[in-house]
Amino acid sequence: MFGYVRPAMDRLTEEEQGDYGALYCGLCHALGRRYGPVSRWILNYDFTFLAALLSGGLETEERRCIASPLRPKRAAAGDPALDLAADLSVILTGYKLRDEVLDASFFKAQGCRAAGAALGGAFRRACQARPRFADHTRQEMDRLLRLEQARCPTLDEPADTFASLLAGVAGEVEDPVQRRVFSQLFYHLGRWIYLVDALDDLKKDAGEGQYNPILLRYDLAGGELTPEARRDVVITLDASIRQMAAAFELWDFGRWSGVIRAAVYEGLYRVGNGVLEGTFHASPRRRQRRGKKEHI
Amino acid sequence: MNDPYQVLNVPSTASDEEVKKAYRELARKYHPDNYHDNPLADLAQEKMKEINEAYNTIQKMRQRGSGTAQSQYGGHGPYSGYGGYGYGGSSAQGTPLQRARMAIQRNDLHLAEQLLAAISDRTAEWYFLRGAVCMRRGWLDEALRHFRQACAMDPGNPEYRQALERLENSGQAYRPAGFEVFTSDCGGGSLCGGLMCSYCLCNSCMGGTFFCR
Repeated sequence: MFGYVRPAMDRLTEEEQGDYGALYCGLCHALGRRYGPVSRWILNYDFTFLAALLSGGLETEERRCIASPLRPKRAAAGDPALDLAADLSVILTGYKLRDEVLDASFFKAQGCRAAGAALGGAFRRACQARPRFADHTRQEMDRLLRLEQARCPTLDEPADTFASLLAGVAGEVEDPVQRRVFSQLFYHLGRWIYLVDALDDLKKDAGEGQYNPILLRYDLAGGELTPEARRDVVITLDASIRQMAAAFELWDFGRWSGVIRAAVYEGLYRVGNGVLEGTFHASPRRRQRRGKKEHI
Repeated sequence: MNDPYQVLNVPSTASDEEVKKAYRELARKYHPDNYHDNPLADLAQEKMKEINEAYNTIQKMRQRGSGTAQSQYGGHGPYSGYGGYGYGGSSAQGTPLQRARMAIQRNDLHLAEQLLAAISDRTAEWYFLRGAVCMRRGWLDEALRHFRQACAMDPGNPEYRQALERLENSGQAYRPAGFEVFTSDCGGGSLCGGLMCSYCLCNSCMGGTFFCR
């Protein structure tokens, strides 16, 4: 369910690109510091975007790391939002792995179980650090599981679970106006992620007989969208992005405004389009490995 | 009140034309059409009020004594345009549908749902109001279904048609100049060309940039 949230790079100034890179490094360091080196592998685009939404500012320091042992790199530091983003990332990943163990084939489930065990200590500590968000996440994931088991044939009901889950992030900010704006923005971010993920898995789920709300909503047997279904899915995805943009304009995201603007006015549409046309792959890791082999 | 130039995000040395342009851009951004059936409509309305006041103040300062300030966008009375339905007979004693309408207007979605659930005669207006509740809850696919149903039952009603059009036609909503990509139409641009990729972010590790271009 992760890997879909990306700003449109070519909409960012060079400075913004550099800042976003520093934020990525800063979040990686925050994960390492709080949860040990193993937790760093959970880092992805979505969590960096989460950090941008929560942060507002940027203070940096030059740091070496395992990825750049010789040349120190500019990394975000000293921002409580990084710690918050790190905690939420660990909690979300922990529940995602648990969900996949229940969902996946036997061998894949073993992999997820092992990954979950590796993250186990970090997951427990993150849940202790943010008990409200952890409880909320568990409740919403349980609700999603029940809807999946009942093979719920609507889009909005299962999407509401993941959307509400992310909207729970808003509970971690103090300012009441900020909380309202964040709640709306994160709700639609979660809704969009859930539906784009379902769209991405359409053919796979149709083949494996897995639950997929889009298959059931439009009664698609073979995993191919009919023109009407395609039109309606696009309408609902676009409408969620518009709601995010409308919320975005009501809060000052400071230093990260450019990055977030590039996502809610373009990046998400592009990702949605790529998923719709079958040209997007959520996991560049896998592609990279394959690509490297081919390259060699 | 805040510095009106700061509100419009222009320097105090900006020309009349630049001030007007900045004002128009902001007014487009916070226009009621972008916040219809949106739980944050009141915040947008406040913004619009602030922008209108700033623009009027600048106009007055610059035209001191030489006529009145130019007309402004939206933001008249409370809730005009921002998700309000302009319902006339404003009495809590109205029909259940009227009361549901008012509950939606107050953003009391729970009450609106209860009132609607108790109505067995499902008219076009019932579907329209049900759609409005769904919009505010973020249940956009259900909203689409209900708005379509309302329009099918009463094709001549402009209120239902506008609600459906706002949801179906993403081209109407505000976007900053130059942003024109949609889920259905990527404008011919390449996907990976412009998207942030974590291997770009962490460009020193694992051969990073290999995949970005």
